[in-house]
Amino acid sequence: MAELSDIGNEFIRQEIEEYLERPEEIERNIELFARVRPAMQAIAAALIEGEDGEVDRLTKLALADGIEALEIMDDGLIAGMGIVGIKFREAMIFVPEVLACARAMKAGMKYIEPILSDSGVEPIAKVLMGTVKGDLHDIGKNLCIMMLRGSGFEVVDLGVDTSEDEFIDAIEEHKATILGMSALLTTTMPNMGKTIEALIDADVRDDVFVMVGGAPVTQEFADDMGADGYGKDALSCVSLAKKLAAQTA
Amino acid sequence: MSKIDSEEIQKRMARISEMFSEMVSHAETVSQTRCPYRDRHDLCTAEFRCRNQKPPAAEGERHPCGHDGNFDYRSAWESQPLAHGRAKKKVKEIREGAARRRSESRRKKAD
Repeated sequence: MAELSDIGNEFIRQEIEEYLERPEEIERNIELFARVRPAMQAIAAALIEGEDGEVDRLTKLALADGIEALEIMDDGLIAGMGIVGIKFREAMIFVPEVLACARAMKAGMKYIEPILSDSGVEPIAKVLMGTVKGDLHDIGKNLCIMMLRGSGFEVVDLGVDTSEDEFIDAIEEHKATILGMSALLTTTMPNMGKTIEALIDADVRDDVFVMVGGAPVTQEFADDMGADGYGKDALSCVSLAKKLAAQTA
Repeated sequence: MSKIDSEEIQKRMARISEMFSEMVSHAETVSQTRCPYRDRHDLCTAEFRCRNQKPPAAEGERHPCGHDGNFDYRSAWESQPLAHGRAKKKVKEIREGAARRRSESRRKKAD
């Protein structure tokens, strides 16, 4: 049986010692990190810290050193995210930190994705995601993006306060099949309808499925606006995106 | 670049998806009493103004969150029936206006 001291990376040792409480999780993580090579421990540590630049650099380096993509996924990215999940469950970190860790994971996956693609694993679909004009709330959208990426979609994040023209330009530039719009305010929600009308005027409405979501949005609103679907949260956003993607296949 | 067994990749993707699903579900629960923009240092990460933001310790730093965590802050975010009605009316106007514009433009082209 491995001991905590068998883990070379001091940060990982501290994380296990300070934040993990359940004996089976402590044991499992000690066993895991004690057997993985230092480069993978370093990737996991950077991911837990939410340092996307560092995960980017270390993943690139690991691949250049000949480490297999699956090993990087298993022993670096997924192993690190496992600790993140535990810390979040135990209220040691919160949504902003989780999103930073998800961004760090994306930074590593950026180098893995071409290998997956080479192996015949293509993204389910390309999705554009943005919060509508006048709205600066992005947590819901960011959770959706995290879930979509984790479920095998390629996502282009258009950010917050996205104008109709920016949505149209992005459809033309990225050739996405799904467009996701979010709004948190009742006052900005009509801008989703405005954007859909702008898509019709720009003759790109038929190029994409439009899904909408956000706290004040309902199925009724989605129907009124002429959207193709409504997701009440990040989990239903993924189910909806899968359903819409299936219609393009 | 070496190829990988696609089944092995799918297993990892399923694992990642499962981990994220758990985190998102937990985020939903946590967000009932704690604002999702509030980080572990109790600082606000939002890019917009919020009445719960306290003055930052120094200029350029994040605002500490002043919410007491004792009630569901989202009640302040939820839309009022009247506001919902106004939004619904606006959506209708936008759609009707756009349809009218398009029909006029088609008519002009035909002329």
